[in-house]
Amino acid sequence: MALSTHTTPTGFLLPSIHSAPPFFTQQPNPATQATVTEQWTKLILSYARFRRLFTLRVEDAETSGGDWDEVSRNPRINRRLLPSYLEYIISQLVAKGLAVYEPAKQTRSVQLYWRLPEEWAEVLHEWASSTGQLNTIMTFYEIVEPPLPSELSNLPISLLKKAIGILAKTARAQIIAVADGEGVRFLAGTSGR
Amino acid sequence: MHRLGGVGIAAFDRQKLSTQSYAQLSNQLSKTQVDNLQAQLTLFRESLLRFASTHREDIKKDPNFRHAFQQMCSNIGVDPLAGPRKGGWWAEALDLGDWQYELGVQIVDICVSTRERNGGLIEVNELVRILTKLRGLEAGAITEEDVVRSIKTLEPLGAGYEVIEMDGGKKMVRSVVKQLDQDQTVVLAVAQVHGGMVDEQMLMREKGWTEARAKAALQNMLLRDGLCWLDEQGEGDTVLYWVPSAMQWDP
Repeated sequence: MALSTHTTPTGFLLPSIHSAPPFFTQQPNPATQATVTEQWTKLILSYARFRRLFTLRVEDAETSGGDWDEVSRNPRINRRLLPSYLEYIISQLVAKGLAVYEPAKQTRSVQLYWRLPEEWAEVLHEWASSTGQLNTIMTFYEIVEPPLPSELSNLPISLLKKAIGILAKTARAQIIAVADGEGVRFLAGTSGR
Repeated sequence: MHRLGGVGIAAFDRQKLSTQSYAQLSNQLSKTQVDNLQAQLTLFRESLLRFASTHREDIKKDPNFRHAFQQMCSNIGVDPLAGPRKGGWWAEALDLGDWQYELGVQIVDICVSTRERNGGLIEVNELVRILTKLRGLEAGAITEEDVVRSIKTLEPLGAGYEVIEMDGGKKMVRSVVKQLDQDQTVVLAVAQVHGGMVDEQMLMREKGWTEARAKAALQNMLLRDGLCWLDEQGEGDTVLYWVPSAMQWDP
């Protein structure tokens, strides 16, 4: 059989390995599994980046109809990612620092780092300075749900806080208490680059 | 009445004469064109040669540069490695050894980079396909024979590259130093017939093996050698095995 790439309805190009039936089964040979894990990692993060998805749950392999169907299933070859296998892949993502369990203390749901918090920090600061928001106090809500869609639209608050924390360390942001919770003030600082 | 060719028997001579001069003129013209073209080719060859020898070290050392150089050459329809089979001016210019060795290097490259997914076993056809693609050549520019001969030239290196002939005439290249036992060869042959898929039932039915023998051969390939992948989602939740080197991958 020829294994070829496939473009999904949302426009994502699935790699040819996604049409290989054994790709959906956990491999007992550790060397083989290491290769496959790498492929899954790449696929999951690039799909998340493409669709701007921040969360992956074991449930996504249990029920259909979610955001991850295009990746977790391949109806053309009648294969799907089994929940136990997804849980393993998730644990590997966490081990490599490409995701964190969110909330903590469970292993069924992760926040994906298709950009690392350090990278989000740079994106955030870049956005604040290019839109002229330096030195003004902003709420988190204003950042993740800006009137004009930005790279930061829908960024989870917990990830936003991490990015701000990183900027605060180099005096490029300050967390400030505002009336209904927390806000932030971005400062020019040194660019850090 | 005065005709251009004249009259009488002399007209034939005259006609012959003018045909001759036309032919001469046309010869002259095409000779000039050929000369011109040859001069340009020489110039081009010299420039390319100068470029190649100035950047010889870079071409040899830097894979990206080498790739770019090969890309450039293939864009303008020159294959830097496709010179004369023995030596040749490209070999001198680039000091890269001859075509055969070069092909060998690319074969090693492909074998190593696909080893993780195929366990060190690749079909010769597949190698030819990837090589052709890699070099931007037309299908058929590299033959199975070229590949087999190149692998022979690698033998003195003792890296264990070997061409194995399967049942049914298919050839595979083994790039890991381990012996394929008789049963594994049979499994591979069966998988090749079924697009890479094989299971215990198939081996029992088609080769008359006992269940124990089929199970042992598949388990060895799966766990010990990494030559096949497990698939637990066959029809009716049966367990299947897939041999990646027998599946066709579109990169």
